[in-house]
Amino acid sequence: MVLAKVKAWTRDHPWQADGLLAVVLFGFSVPQVFAGQAGAAARTAFLVVTALVAATVIPRRRYPVAAFAAAAVIGAAQIAFAVGPGQAPVFALQPTNADLAILILLYTLAAYRPRSVSIAGLAICLLGSAVAIARWAPANGAHPVGALFGAAAGLGGLTLTAWVLGDSVAYRYRRAYYASLEERAARLEAERDAQARIAAAAERARELQERRARAVDDSAARLRRIERDLHDGAQVRLAALAMTLGEIKENLEQSGDDRTLALAGAAHQNAKDTLAELRDLARGIHPAVLDRGLGPALGILAGTSSIPVGLTVGLTERPSPAIEAMAYFCAAELLANATKHSGARRVSIAVREQDVGPVLSVTDDGDGGARLVPGGGLAGLRERVQTVDGRLEVNSPPGGPTVVTIELPRHA
Amino acid sequence: MTATPDRLRIVIAEDAAIMRDGLTQTLTRRGHDVVAAVPDAEALRQAVAQHRPDVAIIDVRMPPTHTDEGLRAAQAIHKEHPGVGVLVFSQYIETQSATELFAAAPAGVGYLLKDRVADVSDFIDAITRVAHGGTVLDPEVVRQLLTASRRGDTLAALTPRERDVLSLMAQGRSNAAIAGTLFISPKVVEKHVANIFDKLGLAPDDNDNRRVIAALRYLES
Repeated sequence: MVLAKVKAWTRDHPWQADGLLAVVLFGFSVPQVFAGQAGAAARTAFLVVTALVAATVIPRRRYPVAAFAAAAVIGAAQIAFAVGPGQAPVFALQPTNADLAILILLYTLAAYRPRSVSIAGLAICLLGSAVAIARWAPANGAHPVGALFGAAAGLGGLTLTAWVLGDSVAYRYRRAYYASLEERAARLEAERDAQARIAAAAERARELQERRARAVDDSAARLRRIERDLHDGAQVRLAALAMTLGEIKENLEQSGDDRTLALAGAAHQNAKDTLAELRDLARGIHPAVLDRGLGPALGILAGTSSIPVGLTVGLTERPSPAIEAMAYFCAAELLANATKHSGARRVSIAVREQDVGPVLSVTDDGDGGARLVPGGGLAGLRERVQTVDGRLEVNSPPGGPTVVTIELPRHA
Repeated sequence: MTATPDRLRIVIAEDAAIMRDGLTQTLTRRGHDVVAAVPDAEALRQAVAQHRPDVAIIDVRMPPTHTDEGLRAAQAIHKEHPGVGVLVFSQYIETQSATELFAAAPAGVGYLLKDRVADVSDFIDAITRVAHGGTVLDPEVVRQLLTASRRGDTLAALTPRERDVLSLMAQGRSNAAIAGTLFISPKVVEKHVANIFDKLGLAPDDNDNRRVIAALRYLES
């Protein structure tokens, strides 16, 4: 627990932790300044060198190579000038306990840098150890082969251990790193698959939407064409026929064959009735006035109503013909509902513009209590509106008023 | 009312050939002079400018857009040639178009449902009235205006007979014609008309055309 906390703190505060390490290293080396014989200046210089060596561990995690190189240079100077055959020892460059920093830095190198770098570091350390033993051993006066071997094995062993410890840490890191990479790759692949599926579904939805819009527009256009054909064809012929029959009837009124006159009169009346029926049928298919816009079409609807209708149309942009037709037929059906079922004395029809398209609202001052019942008229209207992603809402408290609001897109 | 027995010079604008020919033949048989029968609004304006007819019979829906070319042409003709009567006829009743037409042109204007051609004498009577500067409004338009009017409360104060008179008046009928239709004396019609204007709060007016406009304005407002 405490250890874990210390580890965590060490990990999260590299500069402070390694600074502390440097202080400890320096502290261990301070007693050495009193060993041997030297002047005050030499001792001070020794302390400075020791401090420098200890300080190399401070940036070890940020700059492992540079820190190692700095320590190695100082170490090399110590090997070169501390003791040697035929030269005066330099007190300031005596080996110090702080030289342990070199091993710590080798460990760091192995842990934080690729093997190629850390092996070079290891080679430098081993070479340095060998040269150091070779140079210092004779100066100590006694040089039994066993002791030399012992020193070499000890120093070499320590060096190797430092490297191996560092390398194993790096290995663990790398393994964890590779594992995380693999996991990330798998996750990315899964994500890519999901995204591809979503894109395919979106594409499909877009395609269906376009196809539906085409179908809605086509059917509106077809209804309009049928109405035009009726207008230019059957209705005109029938009107001409009725006119001829009317003339026949009037001629017979002069000439006086009562039985033929009665027949002509009946035929004339039939033609006129059929003309009226045909007109209603054509209007039910597609009111011709819709070609001039929703405003005029609703105006006529309001004009033919048996109860007074207030109408306001505020559209800045004409919706597509299919949408205009839908809005018109919705208004017609809602007006018929209000007239037949609600007991309303007055209805108001309003069309206003919203971001996505026209909003139609039909308000009556009738009894209220209108509901969306499955299979009912309002539900049927809602289904029709939903085929173009429109919305229908009914607000009809008991006692009224009833407000039906229909939001439509500008295009199917 | 019977057709005035004079020879009218008539221009017909109707894109359906069968109707154009049928009208031409019928009107010719009734002793009128169809000086031109054309299929679209542009040809109509040229024909009117060239022939200066007594009356132009104009279909609302004509090429190129088949919406309200006829209505626009009628308004233009009435402005450019005030002496030419315009009778617009339409497959559908469009109250708004009718009142628009009448608002701009109080005399020599007519608006009829196309079906009315079936009653030949009445139709020719309507043409004659328009040619002579009268006003003809389809009974169906009047019925719709009366039904949809927001003045329902005031209109309810009229007696059924007064409503009949108002309806005929709005169709552009003269007092004499109203008397003939309702089988009452012109004196009684005059009394009804005075009552109607009084109840609706309108200024009395003997001019047939002007009182149509007054009635329409009242019903529309």
